[in-house]
Parts: sequence; C-alpha cells; structure tokens
Amino acid sequence: MSGSHRSPYHGFSVEFSEYRQYSDGDDLRYLDWRLLARSDRYYIKRFEDETNLRCHLLVDLSRSMSFGTTGYSKADYAKTAAATLAYFLSVQRDAVGLTTFDDKIVEHLPARYRPGHIHRVMLALERSPDGSATDLAPPLEQIAKTASKRGLVVLLSDLLAPVDALETQLGYLRSRGHEVVVMRVLDPAEVEFRYDQPAQFHDLESGRELYVDPQAARAEYLRRFAEHAEAIVRACHRLGIDQFPLTTDRPLELALFDFLHARLRRGRQTLRRRRAATRAKGGG
Amino acid sequence: MGILTPLYLAGLAALSLPLVLHLIRRTPRGRQMFSSLMFLSPSPPRLTRRSRLDHLLLLTLRLTALALLAFAFARPFLREAAVLPLAELPGRRVAILLDTSASMRREGLWEQAAAKIEETLADLGPADDVSLITFDDRRRTVIDFSDDGESRAGKADLVRGQLRELKPSWRATRLGEALAAVAAELDTQADVRQSSAEPQLIVVSDFARGCQTEALQAFRWPERVPAVLHALASRAASNAGVRLLVDLEAPTAEPRVRVTNAADSAAEQFFVHWRRSERQNEDSAAPAIYVPAGQSRVVRLPRPETAAAADRIALRGDDADFDNTFYVVPPRPRELTVAWLGGNEAVTAESPRYFFELAVADDTQRKINLRQAKTAADLRLNGAEAPAIVMVESALDQPLADALKVYAEAGGMVVPLATDELAASVAHLLDDVQAGEPTVAAQDGKRSYQMLSDIDFAHPLFAALANPRYSDFTKIHFWRYQPLRPKPGASTRVLAGFDNGDAAILERLIGRGRLVAFTSGWQPDESQLALSSKFVPLIQSLLDLAAGGEDQSPALTVGEPLSLPRASRKNAVVEKPDGSRVSIPADAITFADTDMPGIYRLYLDGEERSFAVNLAAAESDTAPLELDTLEQLGVRMFSPLTRAQRAEQARQQRDTELESRQHLWRWLIVAAIGLLILETCLAGRPA
Repeated sequence: MSGSHRSPYHGFSVEFSEYRQYSDGDDLRYLDWRLLARSDRYYIKRFEDETNLRCHLLVDLSRSMSFGTTGYSKADYAKTAAATLAYFLSVQRDAVGLTTFDDKIVEHLPARYRPGHIHRVMLALERSPDGSATDLAPPLEQIAKTASKRGLVVLLSDLLAPVDALETQLGYLRSRGHEVVVMRVLDPAEVEFRYDQPAQFHDLESGRELYVDPQAARAEYLRRFAEHAEAIVRACHRLGIDQFPLTTDRPLELALFDFLHARLRRGRQTLRRRRAATRAKGGG
Repeated sequence: MGILTPLYLAGLAALSLPLVLHLIRRTPRGRQMFSSLMFLSPSPPRLTRRSRLDHLLLLTLRLTALALLAFAFARPFLREAAVLPLAELPGRRVAILLDTSASMRREGLWEQAAAKIEETLADLGPADDVSLITFDDRRRTVIDFSDDGESRAGKADLVRGQLRELKPSWRATRLGEALAAVAAELDTQADVRQSSAEPQLIVVSDFARGCQTEALQAFRWPERVPAVLHALASRAASNAGVRLLVDLEAPTAEPRVRVTNAADSAAEQFFVHWRRSERQNEDSAAPAIYVPAGQSRVVRLPRPETAAAADRIALRGDDADFDNTFYVVPPRPRELTVAWLGGNEAVTAESPRYFFELAVADDTQRKINLRQAKTAADLRLNGAEAPAIVMVESALDQPLADALKVYAEAGGMVVPLATDELAASVAHLLDDVQAGEPTVAAQDGKRSYQMLSDIDFAHPLFAALANPRYSDFTKIHFWRYQPLRPKPGASTRVLAGFDNGDAAILERLIGRGRLVAFTSGWQPDESQLALSSKFVPLIQSLLDLAAGGEDQSPALTVGEPLSLPRASRKNAVVEKPDGSRVSIPADAITFADTDMPGIYRLYLDGEERSFAVNLAAAESDTAPLELDTLEQLGVRMFSPLTRAQRAEQARQQRDTELESRQHLWRWLIVAAIGLLILETCLAGRPA
C-alpha cells in the first residue's frame, strides 16, 4: 500500500534513507553495486517507505461543548473542523476513523478508506446527541484496542477537565506509538470571560449553580483558566503531543491553515533533524 | 371610631409581606449558562445603597395601600357611644305559655316551671311587656298584655302573684292548638297595635308525647314570632297508666284492663287491683304484670266477690302516681218486679214460668221479684209497687185488658204468652191483629215444625244476637203456635215471624210502654226455644227493655261534659269527688264541670246516678317529645338570649346601620387604589 506520507519503516520509495552494512541473509537486490565496485565494501542501500495515513478523529460532544456565544456552539465548530479534516484526508486517499464521545463512546467508526466511508463519517458527525460530562478514558481505550497500526489521533475537545487525568490518558495513547494532535476548541467567552451582570451561573455539565458577580470573579477566573491552559501545554509538551488552540470566533479555514502550516513546518523539522542525524552518523 | 368586622384587621399581618420582600437578599434575576464552573468561585451579591433608598419610598406606599385595604375590609365607621345601655333596648312582648295539664303533676315539674318563669321575669326590661297564658285542653289568659300607654311596671310581680295561685289541672294537653293560637295572636297583635316591640313566645311544659301537636300541621307559623321552649324533666323515672276496656259487644263480660308503660320508663313490673277507696290497703295478692317500656298489655282483671263495691282500679309499681287510678262506677244491682198473671200455682218443668225463673236466677246485675197474681188487684199496677213487666199466661177479660192498657201507657210492659186463649186476649188489647185457629205445625204440610224467619235484629230484643255468630235460629223448632197476623196498615210490628208468614213475636208501642206477645210457648212441649242458647239473652233483653236500658253509666274524661237526661232537671245537684256540690240550672242540658277524675254523683228527681270521670289516656304517655318534631311542624325555635346578649346584638345591629350609612370603606379603597397607581408609576420609572 502506498501513500503520500512518510513512514517510519524502510521500504520502496524514491527517498533514500541510509546505508547499512550487509549482513548475511539481506536481499541482494538492495546491495549498492556501485559502492561495492568503488570501495569493495558490501552496503545495503535503504529507502524510506511511503505509506497511507490512518487518522482517528476523536470529537468531544460533552455538554460543555454545547456552549457557545458566537451563534454556534463549540461542538458545531469541532464537528465542522473534524468533517473538513476527514474530507481532506479522504481526498488524499487516507483512512479516516471517527469516535464521538461524552462520558462514554457515542459513535465509533474504525479508520477505513473505502467508498462511502466519508459519508458515514459525515452522518455520524451530523448526529449530535445531548451528552453529559467529559471522560476521555473510554474513547482512548477504544482507540488503543481497535487501532493496532500506529496512526494519527486528532482529539477535538475543550479539555475542561482536570489536567492530571488528561495527561494520564493521553500518555497511554502516546505510548502505543500513535501520533497525537490535540485541537482545543474554546469559546471566546471562556477565554476572556466578558460578563458584567451578576448572575446565577449554571454548569452545563454538572447542572451545578453558582452565584457569580463577574466583576469580582473575573480576575480570579482568568488566572485559573490560564494556569489550566498552561498545565495542558506543559503536559502535551512532555508527551510530545502537538496542541493547537482553536477559538470559535476565528474562521475555521484560517484555523485549519494554521494547523496544516504548523504540521508542515513540524514535518520539515523532523526531516531535517533526521537527515542531520543520518549525516552525523554517516560522517562518524 | 368603631370597626364592624375587626377580624379583617388580621389582614394587617400582610404588611409584613412587602417588608420581608424588601428585606430578603434579592436573588439575581439572570441565569447564565456556562460550560464549566471549574474556574469560578462563588461571590457574594452586592447591593447598592442607592437602590435601597429608592425602595424605601415604594415600601412605604405599598405598606400604606395594604393597610388601607385591611381597614376598608374591617368596615370602619364613626359613632358616638361604644356601648348601648340596657335601658335603651327595644321592648319585647313576651307571652309565657304555661302547661297546666295533668302530666305536670309529676314530681318536681311544677317547681321547675315556676323557676323557669321566674328566670324569664327576672330578665324583663322596663320596656318589655309580659302576659301569662295557661293551657291544658283549653287555653286561659291569666294576665294579658297591657294596652298602649298603660303602665308596665309591676307586671312581673303580678305574674308572680298569679303563678303562686296556679296549680296543675287534671286535663289533657293540647299543645298544638295552644301554640298555634298564641303565636297567631302575637302575630296579629303586632299588626293591630303597630307596635315595634318584638314578640316572643316562651313555652314552659314537660312536652310529653301525649301532648297532641296535630293542630300545628295545618298551621303556618308566623315568621316574626320566635318560640323559646323550656322542656321540663321530671324526677320520676317511670310512669304507667291503667284503663278499663269496655267490651261493647259483651258489656257484662269479665273486665279487662290495659296497662300502658311510657317509652322512657325504667320500671317494667306493675300491679293492678280493684280498690274501694283511697285509704284501702293495697292488695298484696295482685299478680305482677310485665310491660316493657313504650308498650301496653291487656290483662283480665276479674272483680272479686269482696270488691263488688270497688269503684276504682289502682296501679302501683311506677314513680308518677297522678294517672295510677282509673275510676269505674260499680254496678248497682237493680230490683225489678215481674208480675206473673195466671198460670199454674205449681211450677212444673212444663210451664213457661219454670224456664223464666231459671233464666233470671243467676243475674248479678239484677234482682228479680216475681209476683204471682190472679186478679187485677193482685197485679198492683199503680203506685210504688207497680211491676216493670206483666207476664200474662191467662185469658184476659176486657176490664183487665183495659187496666193493662192504662198500665202500658204509663210506661209498663205487657207480655202475653202463648195460651189457647191468646187470640182472644190479644183481641182485647189490640185491634189491628187478626187471629186464626190454633194450629199445630205438624198438621200443616209435610214438615212437622216451623222455624223463625224475618227476625228484626235492629230491635233491642234481638240486638244482642245480631252478630252472625249468634244469629242462627234454624235449630229452634216450633211445633205449636197461635196464628196471629197484623192487619194491613197496622201499627203492630212483627219482630220475628214463622216460615209460613204468621207472627212469632209481636210488638205494639202503647203510650210510653209497650206490648210484646209470644205466639208460641218456649216450654219444650211447644218449641225448643227455652232449651236453646238464645233463650237467656232473649229474656235478659226483654228485662232490659222493661227496665228502660239505663244500666250503663257513662264514662267520661276530665273536661268532657255529661249530657243530662231529658227528664225534669229541677233541683239537680252534682256531688263532685272532693265532696263539693254543684247545682245545675234548670235549663242546662250538660254538666261541664268535670274538672277532676273520680266518681261524680248526680241527684236528679230524687234519684242518684253515678258517673266516672277519668284522665285522658294520652296524659299517661309521659315520655318526652323530641323538640325536633315541633321544629318539623314549623315552630320557629329560638335559643333564649339574656338582656346583655340582646344589648350586644342590638349594638351590632346599630353599628351595621351606621356603617352602611357612612360607607367609609369606599374612600379607603379609593385611597388604596390611588396609592397603588402612584407606586406603579414610581416602580416603573427607570432608576
């Protein structure tokens, strides 16, 4: 199976990867005859393998995602982003899987590339049940169980949950060798907390009510929100996870452009790092 | 300033409502949905001092409006005096209706009645008028209402004085009639006198069940006459009454008495016996009679030989003794002289006289003096020794017949018996009877006997046998008779005839007396009459007819008038049971002064007749009547109010009138509405 993505495996492609000293049993087809002729050393020439991407989209549909002050909710925004990504990937013949969840799994579609699969993904996104609390553990377990091959896992969530639990669950996924990307969907009201009238604040997930005077509580909120966001960034960094904040007032195409741009830049950096490493190896 | 309905002032408690609403912390009106409260901590609400100041004005307005509303509902009014003096109470016209019937003689009732009346009198105001009316089976106004302008002072003392002289009578209770009459009178008097005094009827009675309330059924109780009923309760726990039952069919049968026990009676065992006077010792041998409460029993009470002169039946075993004696006039043996003309000296079993003597021998009610006569002189038809009846068994000659006619015209009775000379004798006495040859029935046709037919059972002679159980005469056969028939248009009547149309018994009224002729003998060689069961009653009826039938003495209840005989009423005197004597005017046709139970003696024309007067049976029914019954009959019951209560009632009435004239509540409502409009404007103004 061939695709447009680099693979950590060596295989057949035009992209040279490295030389390796011949050992018994190696396929003679990969022997570098020219080098043998020139230096009388047996080297095996290795190329990078090119493969298809298996991407899992994890969309959080908990109740906190139904919050929105821009005319649409965070869930709408996240679903649109997931649909766009799924479409892109299917256009470039990549397998796309979808898991929507709240405190349990709502929909699960394994990563596939076949006719009609993108349609099912879209339909699954269209159905947006009224969820409750956020719990990442079941969907991540499900992904770990069903996705034996490593792939890309994109999590679309507001991550309004304790950081410790998040880190544990994401670390579990990461340890299975998946590349994980977290797209944190937030409403501008959550980021800036622009309220001025005292009101009874109603927690969408737990139903808890709290009387809050925003003028008094704003500073404290912003401080704790920033702390939480920073903790998430730190955790992601520790786990080698890319984290992209998406605010719903930002147009989706720009947000996706930023994301792809960052991915591309990251990909180049990786390539560069790898080549540098190879050169250093070769030079040594 | 007064308040009509002070309870509504409790509405002032509603004033606390706006206060509380203003004082409690205002919870925010807004409700904000938020994704997560994990970054938020509760912050206490802040109230600005400025808003509180604004609300104070609103609070004052709201409180005032509510207070005005509460006051409006309490109906305030302005008045001069808070209390109404008792003297200013409107006058009443109080009619005290006092029961004086016989049942009020029970223990303690009269004292209670006096106490109740005293209570009523004590509560009278100076403007009140009072009248005292007693009732039993008739109504008597003891003290009437004063006319307008007449002094009402001392009326109460007048009533007290009269009350001391009153005592219960022996009469029956006619509560219904008394109530209806007095209520109607009170109602009409209020119209006639144009009086503003409110009428009131106060009834003091024991309200026994036998008080006859039927008159109320057809009476429409006047709306404005309230009745206050004071029911008196006797201390006597039991009461029973006794009455002698008179068997109309057999007046001489063994006496029976009915013992009636009142429904609320505690006793069930009673003793009834004959007594001669009040002082006679009680008969301890009298058998016990068990009568459950509310029921009655009829028992036989034979008059013992020793009590032939007993004139009352006494009952013992109950607590109330006013109705325990029933008076009965003892039967007085009458002497009757029968003159027997002709016949054999020696009375044999074949002679009619033999059977006649047997028939009258055992009569306890009558003593028969039989006098045998051969001539007219022996008969002694005139004077004190004149016989009541002359039986003729011999042939009569014209002079004797004329003498007998004169005797009959004076009221005597002549009975020619069947002899061979009967036709001739009757021909001397009567001119409208034709005679045939003496006939032996056996020779006439195939049958050897004749039977009676066409019997006139309406006649006193046969009236006792008129009942179909006794009226069968077919078993009596007549073998021999003297054929007599009245001529057409004759005044002689046939009381009984034979099958062939001949007369068996003839009657002819002659002056004040009569002639009764038998055409067949009753002795066995002529007929079976003397041996039949009909013979004794027939002879007794014949004697009753001769005696004038005055054996029955009338039985009256208290208050019922006695019809006097039509005979001469000169020097007629009645001796009452208490020994007092009352002369009867010559033109009176009744004696109405039967106001106590007992044996009355009427002396008329030198002759003494007795009659018994007893209590009305209903008076013995002393169980208390349920007063609801009276209410169902339309009596407008009313619970009595004291003067103080009436003053309070009058004050409330006056206050209501004042309030309805002033209508202060309307202005209060208008003010409250104005304040509320102002409050709405202020509250709606942007802060």
